[in-house]
Amino acid sequence: MSEITKKSLEHLADLARLELNAQEDEKFLADLKKILDHFQELQALNTDGVQPMTGGTESKNVFREDGATKSSISPDGVVEAFPEKEKHWLKVPPVF
Amino acid sequence: MHLHDLTIKKFHDGLLKKEFSAFDVAKGLFDFIEDKDKEIGAYLSLAKDTALKQAEKVDIAVAKQEPVDALAGVPLAIKDAILIEGQPATAGSKILENYRAAYDATVISKLKSVGAVFLGKTNLDEFAMGSSTENSAFKVTKNPHDLTRVPGGSSGGSAAAVAAHMAVAALGSDTGGSIRQPASLCGVVGLKTTYGAVSRHGLIAMASSLDQIGPIAKTVDDAALLFKAIAGKDQFDSTSVDAKYGPELTEPKLEDIKKMTIGVPSEYFVEGLDPAVSKAMEEAMAALKSLGIKFKEISLPHTKYALSCYYIIMPAEVSSNLARFDGIRYGVRGEGHGNLLDLYKKSKSHGFGAETKRRIILGTYVLSSGYYDAYYAKAQKVRRLIKNDFDEAFNPKNGGVDVIFTPVAPTPAFKIGEKTDDPLAMYLSDIFTLPVNLAGLPAVSIPVKQASNAQSRVLPVGFQLIGKPWREADILGIGHYYEQLH
Repeated sequence: MSEITKKSLEHLADLARLELNAQEDEKFLADLKKILDHFQELQALNTDGVQPMTGGTESKNVFREDGATKSSISPDGVVEAFPEKEKHWLKVPPVF
Repeated sequence: MHLHDLTIKKFHDGLLKKEFSAFDVAKGLFDFIEDKDKEIGAYLSLAKDTALKQAEKVDIAVAKQEPVDALAGVPLAIKDAILIEGQPATAGSKILENYRAAYDATVISKLKSVGAVFLGKTNLDEFAMGSSTENSAFKVTKNPHDLTRVPGGSSGGSAAAVAAHMAVAALGSDTGGSIRQPASLCGVVGLKTTYGAVSRHGLIAMASSLDQIGPIAKTVDDAALLFKAIAGKDQFDSTSVDAKYGPELTEPKLEDIKKMTIGVPSEYFVEGLDPAVSKAMEEAMAALKSLGIKFKEISLPHTKYALSCYYIIMPAEVSSNLARFDGIRYGVRGEGHGNLLDLYKKSKSHGFGAETKRRIILGTYVLSSGYYDAYYAKAQKVRRLIKNDFDEAFNPKNGGVDVIFTPVAPTPAFKIGEKTDDPLAMYLSDIFTLPVNLAGLPAVSIPVKQASNAQSRVLPVGFQLIGKPWREADILGIGHYYEQLH
């Protein structure tokens, strides 16, 4: 089940929007195999009927007023952080 | 006044008695950092001007005899994954090398409102992923007790800054041990708070169901003060809770502490535990028994599955949280890109280090269709079993214990470079701390008082006290009385 091949690694990298070089390919493949092998121990554990713990909190239905929230975020600071901009507009390359 | 002796409490007393000014202490610390940090490498950036201005404000308030908070003017170091408006926030990553925060994290606004002084931002493993601070894109931080060794991680810069007296206290963040393990390796106190006790707003997210911000300090009392200041519900983090912390948080009573029973889980005292750690644990337990606290052996049977469970859930969350670092709205853009897709790839591939990429890929794998049930869904069930173990151990109906005692890390500080090539060996550094994050519990790392030996330098070792949810007061209370022992 934990079969991971060079091809599937490249596919995963593509899904995650990463480009790996040949050296990274080789190292990651070996590391991931070792890590996934370690995970096999979980398969031996019977978890039938166990309610999954889906987060860190047991809080449920946390509501707030459906209105604008006063934010402390500085708009200038946000624009300042743009990697490329023209005036206060964010520049992005073409989609296609 | 000697900078090395300063705790938050001593600072506050000295400030009110006018033994020194907040400005003098901050200035003195910057002078000291300039020299000392050349060998330690704890800080990534300093905020001298704003820090000194803030210190002056506190001095003016003191001069006017206005009431000042216990944290007013206290010089703090902040992990560089926590945002301070206008200051760099790199998260130890090249992809955020030039980023300056556009807002304050909630913990920072809270500390600003009581007049705390922020000296600068401290080094960490990239996006808090690591146990040695060696994964930082910028520098390797050294352990102040032995410069050939790691300070632990990922909050290694914060722990080293406090241990080397380059800050009076600090903030770190803990996803699987990132406050407690470096605190143990550097000989300082580190508190991982109950999940939801402290707002995560403005903490660069690693694994949202596990992350918590917490204090790193020289004493348990200081950690309690700092925790009290940052705790509470926040509208910007819907998992945060308004837990009511009473006066026992900072003023524990010995008669309450004496009534407690501490559980010792057999699963945490296994072969492979470094002899120095075993010895230190025995010493700490003997000292705690001398306070009148009872000990009881307990079992947390699913402990051995925690590492696998954690290394499925955490990367899964990492892979989604880090998708936002795509070179569009902030951060460093990869060069030579063509279209949008190419920009994402170039930015991420250039901006992320190896461990970050490894965890993103691992997270993508365990979440992908065909493997989701076998890994991610399975791990969520195992997470429940791990939490059930703790619930059972604490259950008063079954004669449950009040607090659980374990080592923090299996070894003292290891050598720089020793584990960098073997991710699995590095992951094992957090084997005793990460079950606590999976269960969302509070836990504190407290340095063991070790007999010093003239022939060989003794490396610090911490013990861990794990509490019931929202019962930080129990673990800090025991820690407080442990520290009073001689």
